[in-house]
Amino acid sequence: MSAYEAILVFVVSAPGLVFGIFGLLWLLGWVPVERVLSAVTAGTYSVCTVALVVILWGLGASGSSSVVVTFGNWFAVHDYHFPLVLMVDRVSLPFLVMTVILSGLIGRFSATYLHRERGFLRFFLLLHLFAFGSVLAFAAGSLDLLVGGWEIVGITSVLLIGFFQQRPSPVENGLRVFAVYRACDIGLTVAVFAMHHWTGTALFADGLPKLAGTRPAIACLLLLLAAAGKAAQVPFSGWLPRAMEGPTPSSAIFYGAISIHAGAYLLLRVQPMLTASRLASIAVVFIGFITAIYGTITGRASADAKTSLAYASLTQVGIVFVEIGIGWKSIAIAHILGHATVRTLQFLRAPSMLHDYHTIHSAAGGDLSPTGKHLEDLFPERLQLWIYRWALDRGHLDTIIDRWLIQPLMNLSRLLARLDGLGLQQVSTRRQAPAVSMRSIAGQGGK
Amino acid sequence: MTGHAFIFRVLVIGVPWLAAIPAAFTRKHSRVIGFIASSVSVVLSAVLLRYAASSTSLDEALMLLFSCLTLGAILVLPRRDCTSGTIAGILFLLGSTLLAYSAEHLAVLLIAWILTTVPFFAKVFAARTWRPRIGLMISSIALAGATGLIAANGYHLSIDSLKGESPGGMAVFLLLLLAVVFRKGICPAHAWVADAADGGHVIPTALLLNGHLGALLVAKLIVPLFPHTAHDLFPMLSYLALTTALYIAIRSLTENSPRRLLAFVGLSQSACILAGLESETAEGITGALLHWVVVTISTMGLFGILRLLEVRFGENLTAGKHFGLAEHAPRLAVFFAVFGLALVGLPGTLSFCSQDLLIHGTLASHPQTGLLLPIAIAMNAVSVFRLFTRLFLGKRRTGFTIMADALPRERWILTAGVLLVVLGGLFPNAFVAVQSAQAEIIDQANDTPPRRYLTADPDFPSLSPPRLRTMSGIRSGFDGAASGN
Repeated sequence: MSAYEAILVFVVSAPGLVFGIFGLLWLLGWVPVERVLSAVTAGTYSVCTVALVVILWGLGASGSSSVVVTFGNWFAVHDYHFPLVLMVDRVSLPFLVMTVILSGLIGRFSATYLHRERGFLRFFLLLHLFAFGSVLAFAAGSLDLLVGGWEIVGITSVLLIGFFQQRPSPVENGLRVFAVYRACDIGLTVAVFAMHHWTGTALFADGLPKLAGTRPAIACLLLLLAAAGKAAQVPFSGWLPRAMEGPTPSSAIFYGAISIHAGAYLLLRVQPMLTASRLASIAVVFIGFITAIYGTITGRASADAKTSLAYASLTQVGIVFVEIGIGWKSIAIAHILGHATVRTLQFLRAPSMLHDYHTIHSAAGGDLSPTGKHLEDLFPERLQLWIYRWALDRGHLDTIIDRWLIQPLMNLSRLLARLDGLGLQQVSTRRQAPAVSMRSIAGQGGK
Repeated sequence: MTGHAFIFRVLVIGVPWLAAIPAAFTRKHSRVIGFIASSVSVVLSAVLLRYAASSTSLDEALMLLFSCLTLGAILVLPRRDCTSGTIAGILFLLGSTLLAYSAEHLAVLLIAWILTTVPFFAKVFAARTWRPRIGLMISSIALAGATGLIAANGYHLSIDSLKGESPGGMAVFLLLLLAVVFRKGICPAHAWVADAADGGHVIPTALLLNGHLGALLVAKLIVPLFPHTAHDLFPMLSYLALTTALYIAIRSLTENSPRRLLAFVGLSQSACILAGLESETAEGITGALLHWVVVTISTMGLFGILRLLEVRFGENLTAGKHFGLAEHAPRLAVFFAVFGLALVGLPGTLSFCSQDLLIHGTLASHPQTGLLLPIAIAMNAVSVFRLFTRLFLGKRRTGFTIMADALPRERWILTAGVLLVVLGGLFPNAFVAVQSAQAEIIDQANDTPPRRYLTADPDFPSLSPPRLRTMSGIRSGFDGAASGN
């Protein structure tokens, strides 16, 4: 193993090790003090950042395009194998650098922001787990391994949405987000299966395997389902404002920077396949375009800072999708990096937004002209009102999903429960709980 | 079987049975007796597995797994439940299940099958409703009927001598399937499982369910004895298993009783085991055997934690409202989350590997219906997470006076379980290699050349020798579907 390969392995495993060690020690009864946790976090991500800079320098100096570490198969059965390959190249390196730098910054910010908060340790454990999942997903050399990181990012995202667990609303919204993630991840699972089935591998470290006929379209559309779910693209955008229930630092890193762009990364990773399918490319552009429009309109009707920022993120990610669909890979990467940086800053400043506004207001001499109304003024007043109502209900997306998907599923479930109870006077003599309401899965609604 | 192995097997089975007698009469030391007896079973099963021939190592692996599970159950059993009757019943169940795993004779298997159900007809473990008793009884009667028919047709009842013989024809095959359907709780015979978990003694019931004797019957009896019939009719059972997985997953979405919910999720996940065993692909069978391990450990952990919560916070827990128990019992919350997510395929746990293999195998075998599997798993994940959020998150309840988190005894055994599923997930090769070897055995059983057909009709459709289909072998079928041909 060369020095660069060893460094890559270190970068991927370091956050996971920190999570594993602190988590296990806590399970066995030891609770680290805040200072230790903060120092370890700062140290870990500082070293990881330096390590990635070394890799970047090495790639530049050697002129090679990637560093690939092959560990063989994680497990293998007959002709099916799960390859354990890590890779850093020009697509993944910016994402890796962004992840470790922002994780370190968020760790530093949170050490102050969550000082003496009861969930301090929990937050940092989940932050490390999230960083591990993200780094694993971005450094994966195969779709199989990417799925692992992808799922870890999803579960930490959900657990952080429910961080303020004393209130039922964040918990219910976390459940809703979890349901959306799991539903959309079916696309990723089936796509990976299809890749294995058609080509015998889901590796992309040596370039994606060539698919012919309708296969690229099928694979890309399945991946698009997963990407759209993770990136909150239409019609799955309803979960994004719900996710704002989490603490601000986690909102910043998840929905301003990394998690929200994971879907775009997935599409960038399979872009050669996307280019081979016009149908899939059009679908990506279409979804991105619709989401951008949806995000900008809905964001204008949002009353709180974090939700407005979330919709602003959605708009930008929609545009990134359009860029990927068109084939502007480099522009999409640059867009993602710029957007993630700015949005993280905005999210972190969101609790001080009023203070910032007053500062700017004073600096402008007390005269700040409202901006951003030029778009609305283009429409007739009746249409403006209709659009406003539409935007207030967030495009009715959740209503449609609830009415046409969740409610029928719940009704079917209740019907099956009644069938199960046939022949019994009482299904349970001990516990008679009321049937769960729509809100159990549908959540409590956003803010 | 060598003489030493036979003696070890007798000891593995006999020690828990013998220990059940003093345990039944000694309340004060019943947990100690149970601990010692199950530890002896663990050690002896490990020795047996270490020296087992590859052709029988499925039995030994299952014996070791179930012994460990029982040891864990005895340790995690709350003091309130730790009566002499409970420990004796658990030890009796352990001995009977180990006998079923190691049976090489149909009559012995039948006796063991029936013996495992006996404690659940007695007062100590019995559920309040009639369905569990009927379900277990029908499965026993079906197996007894099949054994009787085989004997009536003049066959010797040794399982080895019956391999590939299709003894007794279609009638026996269908009776065995009936036994599997009722014992596993395959739709429409699924309701008894939830009733048993809800109204009975939860930890022993979880042990009964995690014996997975229905799946054992498929792997040990149906596939080797009826390779051709199995090949032709397995798709039907596979569809039934997949339908069960989905049906139960949908059913559990509105279930509010934690015990029933866990029983449903466990049932849905264990139906995936059957679907994998019947997929006739190496990946599917290996995934199924691996999933067997995961489902067993995870559901046992979940039921154990649930019982600990019931003992601490009362038995009126429901998934209909938030209890905020994580404030009182944060470690139990973490254990529950890890076991729950491990059950539904969290990356980094063994179930991620098992479900990866299962989904690949099942989709390869049944491209259309195989899609039900990831959908069912996703729904199960939502149900488990819903239960977690309702029990552990939300507003803290103030009605509890004494709230103990996991006691050291519970903490260590639950940590061991978590480490097993996590380390198994991080380094799955050891597990996969063992299960892959077992899959080979089932594969060989499936490849047994026909010696006798089920019917007198020479044109019976299973004349061509069935083979375990590998990914490449079945690729053409899926290709046609995918490319729209």
